[in-house]
Amino acid sequence: MTDHKKKRSSRPPKPADEENDRPTVSPPFDVEAFARATSADTRAEGRGEQVTLTNELELERARSQSAMRTDPPRKNTPSALSIANAHAPSAPNIPAAKRALSPTSIEAAVLGAIATSPGQAGPEISERTIDDPVAEMTERFSLGDYTGALEMAELILAEDPGNLEAAECGENCRTVLEGMYVARLTPLGRAPIVLVPPTQMRWLSMDHRAGFILSLIDGTSTVETILDMSGMPKLDALRILHELVQQKIVAFK
Amino acid sequence: MEKVIGIDLGTTNSCVAIVENGVPTVVPNRGGYKTTPSMVAITEAGKRLVGHIAKRQAITNAENTVYAAKRLIGRKWNSPQVKNAVATSSYRIVQGPHNDVRIVLRDKEYSVSEVSAMVLQEMKLIAEDYLGEPVSKAVITVPAYFNDNQRQATKDAGEIAGLDVIRIINEPTAAALSYGFGKNVEKTIAVYDFGGGTFDISILEIGSSGIFKVIATAGDTFLGGEDVDARIIDWLVQGFKEEHGIDLRQDRMALQRLKDAAEKAKCELSSVRETEINLPFIISSGRNEALHLQRTIERNTLEELSGDLLERTIDICRQTLKDARLEKDEIEDVLLVGGMTRMPKIQQAVGEFFEREPSKGVHPDESVALGAGIQGSALISDKHDMVLLDVTPHALGIMTQGGFFEELIPQNTTVPTHRTKIFTTSRDNQTAVKIVVMQGESERAEENELLGEFILTGLRRAAKGSVEIEVTFEINADGIVSVHAKDLETSKEQSIEVTASSGLTRDEIKDMIDNAKDYMVERRSTEEVEAARQEAEKLVGEIERLFPQVEQIVAASDFGRDAIEKARAILDKARQAIARRDLAAMKSEIEGLSRTHRMFKGVVAKTH
Repeated sequence: MTDHKKKRSSRPPKPADEENDRPTVSPPFDVEAFARATSADTRAEGRGEQVTLTNELELERARSQSAMRTDPPRKNTPSALSIANAHAPSAPNIPAAKRALSPTSIEAAVLGAIATSPGQAGPEISERTIDDPVAEMTERFSLGDYTGALEMAELILAEDPGNLEAAECGENCRTVLEGMYVARLTPLGRAPIVLVPPTQMRWLSMDHRAGFILSLIDGTSTVETILDMSGMPKLDALRILHELVQQKIVAFK
Repeated sequence: MEKVIGIDLGTTNSCVAIVENGVPTVVPNRGGYKTTPSMVAITEAGKRLVGHIAKRQAITNAENTVYAAKRLIGRKWNSPQVKNAVATSSYRIVQGPHNDVRIVLRDKEYSVSEVSAMVLQEMKLIAEDYLGEPVSKAVITVPAYFNDNQRQATKDAGEIAGLDVIRIINEPTAAALSYGFGKNVEKTIAVYDFGGGTFDISILEIGSSGIFKVIATAGDTFLGGEDVDARIIDWLVQGFKEEHGIDLRQDRMALQRLKDAAEKAKCELSSVRETEINLPFIISSGRNEALHLQRTIERNTLEELSGDLLERTIDICRQTLKDARLEKDEIEDVLLVGGMTRMPKIQQAVGEFFEREPSKGVHPDESVALGAGIQGSALISDKHDMVLLDVTPHALGIMTQGGFFEELIPQNTTVPTHRTKIFTTSRDNQTAVKIVVMQGESERAEENELLGEFILTGLRRAAKGSVEIEVTFEINADGIVSVHAKDLETSKEQSIEVTASSGLTRDEIKDMIDNAKDYMVERRSTEEVEAARQEAEKLVGEIERLFPQVEQIVAASDFGRDAIEKARAILDKARQAIARRDLAAMKSEIEGLSRTHRMFKGVVAKTH
């Protein structure tokens, strides 16, 4: 009883009758597919006893193995984008990087690079670290991870604004990603509407940029108009709008 | 008969009206609004935005959004108003090649007339969409204090927009026309015009036979509803800072939302006593979460916040009455114009000052455009009872010794006209005189607008005051001012012709007209492609939705399978045409899609 009270008091205050009306916000990835994939892998491995991972190396190995079998959404990449990437055609004008096919995916490689602490033996995937960002960028692009490639390009350009390769790759990524989002939101002449009542808006989980895009949705402004009004880079506005649609906060008439 | 549109080209909002079957009507825009923000923006992608869209991105794209271009139109680069605008505007204002003013948007320079033309072009389109036919003639309103150059620049803007501006009329006169429409009014009235960006007070005499005379006019070109919005924003920003320690002004997106919300709250408080401002996720707290702004504002708070602004307008009214040498009881009616006059406190203050209830007979947002529409209709009809006479908006004269202004043609003189006056030399043995032609009402020459100057030489040497020079001012029907100076003894003479100038050459105007035409052709073409694309996509979507059902129903027969294949082929071709944005192909595919859609619907309907 006491615990229950504590739980409720930790939430933001709101009228009791709103509790049941609160919208269920879909997580930004396919939960069922993810759960099925993970449980199938676990069964295949036949876990006889429960293992407690206690050090970084073991933890990393586990991450790498997991990444080999499933493709969970990256923490800082929206699932919608991951899905978009999976379907994206490879851009023809960037040469495919040599694929030193370590058993890991890029996500695992990056995780490995981050997790390795000084003085500790790194995981086997250490040859694919972020030390060579240009190669990393090209690799990600060739694998269709345009968001990742764009992030890398932006990192490179932050260090070296004159890097033409990064600039070109970044531009290509933007073009491809914009195309993907446009394909998902098309026709852009439609006017989105907000599904969540204003009183429940503040219980949603979103950042102020999404809040801004949401404020531009009035039921009459089309997607094209919203993109024009946002003042944001087109890709950012498209991504946010797409996420709002995915999360069922916004829909089309 | 061809329609003439009346356009109120406002500092913050514009409005277009026509007279239909004898009834003056304001034309709503595509969004259903009767006024359109006088804002123009160029997006990062180079797309031109005009009106509400431009307004809603005005803060997030501040450097490339022009507002209040009217404050700059027809002004010289070194005028105080331009200096003020340069200091306070978010967009870049630079000096033009003819000492005029240019605006830089995305590295491209535009003249002020060109920017105003974009707004006028939008108003023209609104009228054309409504009427379903092209419009080419317009009456445009300007503030009563606009000089000839400002009026000419407005006319040029109309020409660039593809309009033949058949008359420029004063805004208070237009409001008075709307007020007097269908009535036989002979009154002295005050027009209190508190709009989004400017405040004007004008005293007019409405006489019989359509004479509308502006007796006095004054105002503040940097005082309007936007200043009230700014006060609300300050109040919200301060409150939020006290609560969260974050300055919302640092974030453009937050500021844009505050601006929209402040204006909305201000409007709502004209009809309700309190309103809630709710802006969820307004800014990031910096700890991976967003903060919300939620406050209730009362009408009393708004009145406190804007009290001094209101007081400023009343002070200007007081001074104007004094200048016009009129008593309050000589004002027989007070018209309220401009959105701000919806505010109950303003209505009360104006009523108290003029000691009479303001008239409810005119619409604050629409009366000026309606008046322009009425004038446009009268100008092309056989009835001339409402036709305004073309008058000089300001007095014309020359500069005399000591820097004084000597008036030859008074303000509001009907044109064409001419006046003559004799002047004498001011120094002994003076052999030349400089004639400095000016426009304005101030006794001090420096406070008036310089129109031109010339020198009359070869005067005989004589004591001061003994050589007589006859100066003649003439204004022809086209508004061109000629000034002649003649030595009465020798009959030697010199003259100058002054034509109002917007600061643009004919060639420049011609180029701008061509650019505007090209833009319209492109826009119409894009709109046509977009309309076809939307129709095609809608039909494709509908057919795709019905496809599984139809397939299930007809797939058993050869004929059905054949029909399904044909439908698939039509869908494929339509998708390709949409992807290519090929207008001709899309139009052609729409026919096939429509047939398929009808057939599919028929099949599904029969089985249910």
